[in-house]
Amino acid sequence: MSRKNEKDKTLSVRIGILSFAHMHAASYAGSLPHIPGATLVGIADEDRDRATRMATQFGTTAYPSYEALLADVDAVVICSENVHHRRLTELAAKAQKHVLCEKPLATTLEDADAMIAICAENGVKLFTAFPCRFHPAYKRLKAATQEGAIGQIIGANTTNQGQCPGGWFIDKKMSGGGAAIDHTVHVTDLLRDMMGAEPVEVYAELTNGMAHSDYDDCALITITFDNGVFATLDASWSRPKSFWTWGNVKIALTGTEGVASMDMFAQNHVVFSDVAERPSLHNWGDNMDLEMIQAFVDAVAGTQDLNAPVSLATGEDGRAAARVALAAYRAAETGQPVTL
Amino acid sequence: MGFRVGIIGAGTMGQVHSRAWRRMPDIELIGVYDIDATRASRIAADSGVTAFSSFEELVNTVDIVDVCVPTPFHAEYAIFALEADKDVVCEKPMGRTLEECDRMIAAAEASGKTLMPAQVLRFFPEFQSTHDLIRKGAIGAPAVVRTHRGGGFPRGVNNWFADFAQSGGVSLDILIHDFDWLRWTLGDVERVYAKTRHTDGIHEDDYVLATLRFKSGAIAHVEGTWMDAAGYYTSIEAAGDNGLIHYDSRETAPLRVARRRHDSSSGAGIHSESPVSADPYYLELRHFVDCLTVGVAPMITPEDGRAAVAIGLAALESSRIAKSVSL
Repeated sequence: MSRKNEKDKTLSVRIGILSFAHMHAASYAGSLPHIPGATLVGIADEDRDRATRMATQFGTTAYPSYEALLADVDAVVICSENVHHRRLTELAAKAQKHVLCEKPLATTLEDADAMIAICAENGVKLFTAFPCRFHPAYKRLKAATQEGAIGQIIGANTTNQGQCPGGWFIDKKMSGGGAAIDHTVHVTDLLRDMMGAEPVEVYAELTNGMAHSDYDDCALITITFDNGVFATLDASWSRPKSFWTWGNVKIALTGTEGVASMDMFAQNHVVFSDVAERPSLHNWGDNMDLEMIQAFVDAVAGTQDLNAPVSLATGEDGRAAARVALAAYRAAETGQPVTL
Repeated sequence: MGFRVGIIGAGTMGQVHSRAWRRMPDIELIGVYDIDATRASRIAADSGVTAFSSFEELVNTVDIVDVCVPTPFHAEYAIFALEADKDVVCEKPMGRTLEECDRMIAAAEASGKTLMPAQVLRFFPEFQSTHDLIRKGAIGAPAVVRTHRGGGFPRGVNNWFADFAQSGGVSLDILIHDFDWLRWTLGDVERVYAKTRHTDGIHEDDYVLATLRFKSGAIAHVEGTWMDAAGYYTSIEAAGDNGLIHYDSRETAPLRVARRRHDSSSGAGIHSESPVSADPYYLELRHFVDCLTVGVAPMITPEDGRAAVAIGLAALESSRIAKSVSL
């Protein structure tokens, strides 16, 4: 439901952000002013100071509670700690608001199923925030493979390596795990979307070799798909503190007729700064978050392009990706592959 | 005092080795034997040495036997030479099976002669340097390492690489280099899980993704391919608890020559080189000779050769049974 502006008959989709625990919330909040027909109505956060600071930074209103914000919007973006995704989704669904939820969708399949069910029962849409789908490099890779550029895909060598984000990400009560739960899901979703295939078996070697703490920070995962393709996924938080960028998303495909490799965030300047006294990479590529939020706004307004080459990941897509991450933990415990 | 050397196998590696032997002043390259007499004659003529028509005669004439035949024939020639009281350098992989490796190790022990598996990667400066940096603590304790090796399919004598029964495919023939380097750098392997395009048969299109867990707790991802149309390259990325090292052969070639075409065809003849003054094959064989001269064991032991083969075979087995294989 959206409110028509009686003066110029434009539809304006009212968006709220529930929690700023996940740093991506800042990117989503920053995207909304650039989306005509959408308004960032406000922010609600159990961390009241953070709500106030972020509301000031993004020129919006800090709401005193999730419920109060939900009353004033059409849809919300949920950026809480992983373990709270279910509770906030249930609040939104019962308030009849559409949801775009940060990844991983949930830390258990039971939670994911509950989130999908409650949104369906209340007639609201549930999407999972997988912005990588919207990057032009991925769109081109998907198109190239579907055009048969490399023939039949045999194997995929993929990485979503990063720096350790710290904070609640390494508190398993909040995050549900370490690197594997954080970084398995993006690429799993891309491979599912690109190939239209489902994971059937998962193997994982997980270690704490970077920080030697109680969470996995090194993760080498192997996924076998129902179309016969085998994929490896390096989800490690293995970029050191001294690294010149946050990480990467890479997919290298080997097919019967050729190879295709995508380094999503390759479009960088190398900046040598005597102020920082270390080099850094500055990305000049597209803002995929903006395109994802635009797609969410369109979905809420009912104006989404059904023929677009990529679309928002659904709750089911989020569940399917989380399922692989959770299977990785089971496989790591046994030292053997797990059948899904 | 010099050593007399004989080469068994006049294919690609035999030719590479013969060029290296001929540069050594304390070595006399006596001759070469090949099951194909024409091939032997060609290398003999190029090198000014004798083409032997019997390998027994060659072995009896020399001090050092250099085994450069395809993998499944390593054991028989190496063991024959060791039993004839000769020192042996043997191409990689040391054997096609662990049973062959064990017989070779036993023959070396019984004879008291030296057997060195020719794991030449350890003598490539970029791989030696990465190994040294890691051992000296440049990245702290190694945590997760990634390697890549491969390009298109290599043509060998009688296309033997395509016959898995002989070559073991990518897992054994080219990844043996990375398995040995990783073991040299990170220690013994505990467990292997691999997906390979093929596990047996006759195939030119092999592709392998292997995951290794080391007894030290480090883990590694190894990619090997004969299906990369973009061409051959190698890369290493090693992340540890205090840093990261990156190497990619596509980024480090100091010389590139691209010829303009004056005809209507598009594209250029592009030639890239990464020249170093010391040839790794020379350094490897030089190391062998120096060890013999001084009377010490080479840095690559027969047990190292067997261990690398064990990892390659575990990768094939893991792929075949769709389970991880513990070593």
